Amino acid sequence: MKLPDSDFDRLVRKLQWVWVGGAMLLIGGVVTWIVHLILTALWLEDVPSASIGIALVAIPIFLVFSGVVIYVFWNVTLRGEDR
Amino acid sequence: MALWGMVIDLDRCTGCQACVMACKAENNVPAVGSKEAHKGRVISWMQVLTETDEEHHAEKVRFIPRPCLQCDDPPCTKVCPVYATYRNPEGIVAQIYARCIGCRFCMAACPYNAKYFNWYTYQKEGQGQNPDVSLRGKGVVEKCTFCHHRLQKARARALAEKRELEPNEYVPACAEACPAQAIVFGDLSDPGSEVSRLARSPRAFKLQEELGTKPKVIYLTEGEGGG
Amino acid sequence: MADIRDAHEDILLAPIEKTGRGFYIGVAVLSVFILWGALAYAVQFFEGLGVTGLHQPVGWGFYVTNFVFFIGISHAGTLISAILRLSKAEWRRPITRMAEVITCMVLFIGAGQILVDLGRPDRMMNVLRYGRYQSPLLWDATSISAYLMASLTYLYLPMIPDIAILRDRLKKRKLFYSVLALGWKGTERQQRALNRAIAIMAVLVIPIAISVHSVVSFVFSMTLQPMWHSTIFGPYFVVGAIFSGIAALIVAMIVFRKIYGLHPYLKPIHFRYLGQLLLIMALLWFYFTFSEYLTGYYGAQPEEMKVFWAKFSGPFWPFFWAMVLCNFIIPLACLVRLGQRTVGKVLTASLAVIVGMWLERFIIIVPTLSYPRLPFPEGIYLPTWVEWGETAGSFGLFALFYLLFTKFFPIISIWEIREGREVGVKEVEERLMSYLPDEAEKRT
Repeated sequence: MKLPDSDFDRLVRKLQWVWVGGAMLLIGGVVTWIVHLILTALWLEDVPSASIGIALVAIPIFLVFSGVVIYVFWNVTLRGEDR
Repeated sequence: MALWGMVIDLDRCTGCQACVMACKAENNVPAVGSKEAHKGRVISWMQVLTETDEEHHAEKVRFIPRPCLQCDDPPCTKVCPVYATYRNPEGIVAQIYARCIGCRFCMAACPYNAKYFNWYTYQKEGQGQNPDVSLRGKGVVEKCTFCHHRLQKARARALAEKRELEPNEYVPACAEACPAQAIVFGDLSDPGSEVSRLARSPRAFKLQEELGTKPKVIYLTEGEGGG
Repeated sequence: MADIRDAHEDILLAPIEKTGRGFYIGVAVLSVFILWGALAYAVQFFEGLGVTGLHQPVGWGFYVTNFVFFIGISHAGTLISAILRLSKAEWRRPITRMAEVITCMVLFIGAGQILVDLGRPDRMMNVLRYGRYQSPLLWDATSISAYLMASLTYLYLPMIPDIAILRDRLKKRKLFYSVLALGWKGTERQQRALNRAIAIMAVLVIPIAISVHSVVSFVFSMTLQPMWHSTIFGPYFVVGAIFSGIAALIVAMIVFRKIYGLHPYLKPIHFRYLGQLLLIMALLWFYFTFSEYLTGYYGAQPEEMKVFWAKFSGPFWPFFWAMVLCNFIIPLACLVRLGQRTVGKVLTASLAVIVGMWLERFIIIVPTLSYPRLPFPEGIYLPTWVEWGETAGSFGLFALFYLLFTKFFPIISIWEIREGREVGVKEVEERLMSYLPDEAEKRT
């Protein structure tokens, strides 16, 4: 039986959202940055193939990170009490 | 679209280094001082390299005036992380001091050592400088630009006078200064220009051509194809 | 989860609960080095890179050497943690966290070296705003970012149950540990999710780590310079990185074993296994080095031979042969027979490898730059106090980060040791039974 949340618990939960939210911002920032570099290369007609090639590998990896973070946050923190 | 290139006749070169001095004066290349020179930090956009015969030292000496070879497939532009050096459509490899972060990757990549670095702030604004060329602060890479500012001035003048640019209106300082007329400059894409004619000479060779950098400074070997 | 409390577990929590005088002395000593480094960098920042020994043609020296060296050490975490976890090697349990912490801390220091090397560090945002992906430096930026994030995640996830223990047992920093524990209660759902996430990260982190040091090597091999433009560089650097990483890990283990009294957890058998891995890497490193130099020598290209002889018998011979001594001869002598005095032998070998691998990076970078193709005036690179200071400060900063980590989190994974005791023994027994031939049917 879950006891009612204390003030401390509510603060902890808020900070956990901040913590995980910050991680997602960071990962999202990197993905945005990579896309920005592709667009810059296209605009300057430089060598877009390099940017696109690397983005095809790098962006999925960062998306997997965010997936793992969300998966852990969901199952451990948000739905952790369930059996 | 012009393709600016240079031919240097090694048979005419006397190693007098007038080209080096003219370049330094024209482009505000700083004098780094004897202490820095001792440490190997001389900046010399046009540099005269001396090649001694390996077996007979001091016997056969060859002077090779080496500006930036303005490669058509530059190894330096490939590795720049911030678009601070790039090849412009007229074939000149540009160097943007305001963008350069001083990582010196282009210096490590250039097989001709044509790039130089400002290890300190070697000069401030002062007398006797060429107002057409910007001063470089510390921490950025610089190199020969075929006196690109002269091209811009000549183009502007031609535009103001509502006429085309004449072929001999744009000449870098080194070509202008050479007393032996060893340096010929012009448009390689014009088959009738003197530069193109000399570049097709049987004496013509390119430095380290096998690296595939496609340099646009072509040398004419001494004598009847020897050297 | 049964709460079988280990008799020695209090040792693991002691550094977090109490701080002795030794800690403050350690911090003071490290601070001296860090201050030296900070002063050196301040001088460089205001006056310019001229305060170093760099010049034309040797435009890269200590800083780039340190960069490659520190990024190389980061492979400690991946190898031990991820590969051993995936291969279910039970002896990894007390080691994984130490290894993962090395990786995370050293990546910051490594990436920092490049920033220190820039002529215009105030323009470092240009890499973000105007980055060119054709440049190997951008490959570096991307893969090191990916590796840093992967390592931090891979360090953090297995820490969650331990942070929960800290949250429940300690009185101080309650809010800090509660937030980071992410509400861990040890329920089945949580355990399944965490194990799955850790497994995914373990698989993901290995190719990222390999890409990191390959890409660092590409900074050199993508140029046309003699003895740099070599196809072996990718695998060579990765092998060297794993080699130096294991050595750094062993040294860290021995240091913390001594100062925190972790002898019950870090037993001679762990050092024996790591010593054997170090030996294998020494042999592998030697094979790659031999291939590299034999190929250069046999081809006898004049520009490459200039650099080759400079290393073998020319101005760089002390560093080259010291490298061979430290990376091959000493490790072989120490590690071939690990029966007695295991820890001492392994420590000697590891310290030698750390020095040797630093020299190896130096020997790769500086001689090639010192002998340009054209008859450019050659130069001898003489590092100044600024570069020595920056190097000392970097090592000091890394050690300080590591030390501070041990003050906040247990340096040995408490729950994984418990898991080894409760679950691991049975799992291994089942696994062994599955290898043996099936029992024959009884004949009637």
